[in-house]
Amino acid sequence: MLQEPLKRKTHLSIALALVFFFVIYPLLVDAEASYLVFLFYTAFMYVTLSQGWNIAAGYAGQVSLGQHAFFGIGCYVTAITWRAGTAGYLDPLAMLMSGAGAAVVAIVVGLPLLAKLRGDYFALGTLGLGEILRVAALNGGSFTEGAAGISIPSDVYQSIKPYYFIALLISVLTMLSLWFIAHSRIGLALVAIREDETAASANGIPILRYKILAFTLGAFVTGLCGSLNAYFVFHIDTTGAFNLNWVIMPILMVILGGVGTFVGPVLGVFSLIAAFELIRLLTPQLHPIFSGAFIILVTLFLPDGIMSYLTGHKNRLLHKLSPFKWLALNK
Amino acid sequence: MKNNGKDVVLRLEKITKSFGGLMALNGVDLSVEQGQIVGLIGPNGAGKTTLFNVVTSLYKPDKGDVYLAGKKITGKPSHQLCHLGISRTFQLVKTFLSLTAFKNVLIGAIYGHGMRGRQAREEALEALRLVGLADKKEVVTAHMTLSDRRLLEVARALAAKPLITLVDEPMAGLNPSEIINMLKVIKRARNERNVAILWVEHKVDAIFRLCDRVAVLDYGRKIAEGKPEEIAQNKKVIEAYLGKPPP
Ligand SMILES: Nc1ncnc2c1ncn2[C@@H]1O[C@H](COP(=O)(O)OP(=O)(O)OP(=O)(O)O)[C@@H](O)[C@H]1O
Ligand SMILES: [Mg+2]
Repeated sequence: MLQEPLKRKTHLSIALALVFFFVIYPLLVDAEASYLVFLFYTAFMYVTLSQGWNIAAGYAGQVSLGQHAFFGIGCYVTAITWRAGTAGYLDPLAMLMSGAGAAVVAIVVGLPLLAKLRGDYFALGTLGLGEILRVAALNGGSFTEGAAGISIPSDVYQSIKPYYFIALLISVLTMLSLWFIAHSRIGLALVAIREDETAASANGIPILRYKILAFTLGAFVTGLCGSLNAYFVFHIDTTGAFNLNWVIMPILMVILGGVGTFVGPVLGVFSLIAAFELIRLLTPQLHPIFSGAFIILVTLFLPDGIMSYLTGHKNRLLHKLSPFKWLALNK
Repeated sequence: MKNNGKDVVLRLEKITKSFGGLMALNGVDLSVEQGQIVGLIGPNGAGKTTLFNVVTSLYKPDKGDVYLAGKKITGKPSHQLCHLGISRTFQLVKTFLSLTAFKNVLIGAIYGHGMRGRQAREEALEALRLVGLADKKEVVTAHMTLSDRRLLEVARALAAKPLITLVDEPMAGLNPSEIINMLKVIKRARNERNVAILWVEHKVDAIFRLCDRVAVLDYGRKIAEGKPEEIAQNKKVIEAYLGKPPP
């Protein structure tokens, strides 16, 4: 890449133009009535969630199936601090606390899991984390208000615009952080760990520390999204907050776009949202079947994602990552 | 610690390691001095790789201790051992396949030794030059030949600026001209870096040509140690390799 400063300049211009477009778009249309503005808001959330998974799974090779746990923690931290009066509406401090809460859990849970469990077992352990937290929230008494969940008075809602811009800001900051990490010595360590843990540690990389770092950063941004979601839906319960969708969708989007790549997940987010919308428009009844089939086809036959068609790099990374290894049998 | 006036870099004391009922290493003593090339030979399954794995903390020894420059380092985590001055290569090559040759070696310089920025990049280039891969620095490792990957592992191990580097069968799977090249590289590494090398190899003639000393393992025990010409004559060694002659 370094010997292609021109290409890099083009990429930067495209990125800036896109961000510029997204910034002015809701100002040009009737944002409250625009379905596209809502879809873009959703897309920004998924960009962050996707990269939050991608940094640990795609870069460092540590596949988490527990992102919904961090999303849920973000939801609940925001709902609970708001109910307690500690935080206001769209309060940046509450959002940061939500991210931090998710990050702390990632460290506490990640230390034993990442130190002891490899591959499939780490994935299963994180999947368990989501379930444990869901059940805990269900039985949390007046603290989490059990199955009924926490309701927040929705009369503060005025416009979708603040949500849209906050989601955009979080996704841009996430992308920027990932870019700097991927191009720094940290990124080098993460990829080395993914490629060969034994060689990485024999060459001086403290592998546990870097795995935790990637996992925790991913949890932090996922928690931020959970927080914004709490402000958006005004009602937090266990099925919404710890919904498996929050982990399945980002994974699909990353795989579709290109796991372990920087731009791929963004392409994956927009393509998958577009595809699902199209399917929904054409055949509302068949939706779940179509999307299910779509997902299976993509993971089987497009393991390098859309990115591989743009860059020509086909490294079959997905089939080398632990819970996806079985997919290689189909080739 | 001195031994014949030279510093002892690595000293193993009665290393014992078993897997279930199998004694892979049985009270092995060994020491390597600064700038020395020590060969470690022995039949398949003798415990050579296991010894490397114990020294680099992939395995914890059941008994015995490892000393680096006089300090006990038994059981310290692998990455710390690399910082302290032990680097290695692997019998089954372990390069970072999706990264370029340059970045592989850069990892050695940055994480193995703790260099930063330009210094790290220069050291990486220097190590690539030493093994003769300077012009392939931008090649992604997945596209390299086995011989080049083995050279790359040596370069990565050297970029960590170790006191001692452990090389595990660097010639396995190479053709005759690649073997000659590897021989030159190992010699050059010792001469230019004054690094100690502990070298496991089945190509015994190469070991005898280059090593200052040779140790022989058989069924987890050290059965002989000495100058190459002594080892070549040693009856126990010949027996270990060829089996006992009929009485
Ligand atoms: N992780 C392990 N678990 C169980 N047994 C092992 C393990 N590693 C090595 N062994 C056994 O220990 C013995 C020594 O193996 P080692 O790999 O050290 O031999 P080696 O001298 O390097 O042989 P080669 O020349 O074939 O590489 C062998 O019998 C091997 O099967
Ligand atoms: Mg071996």
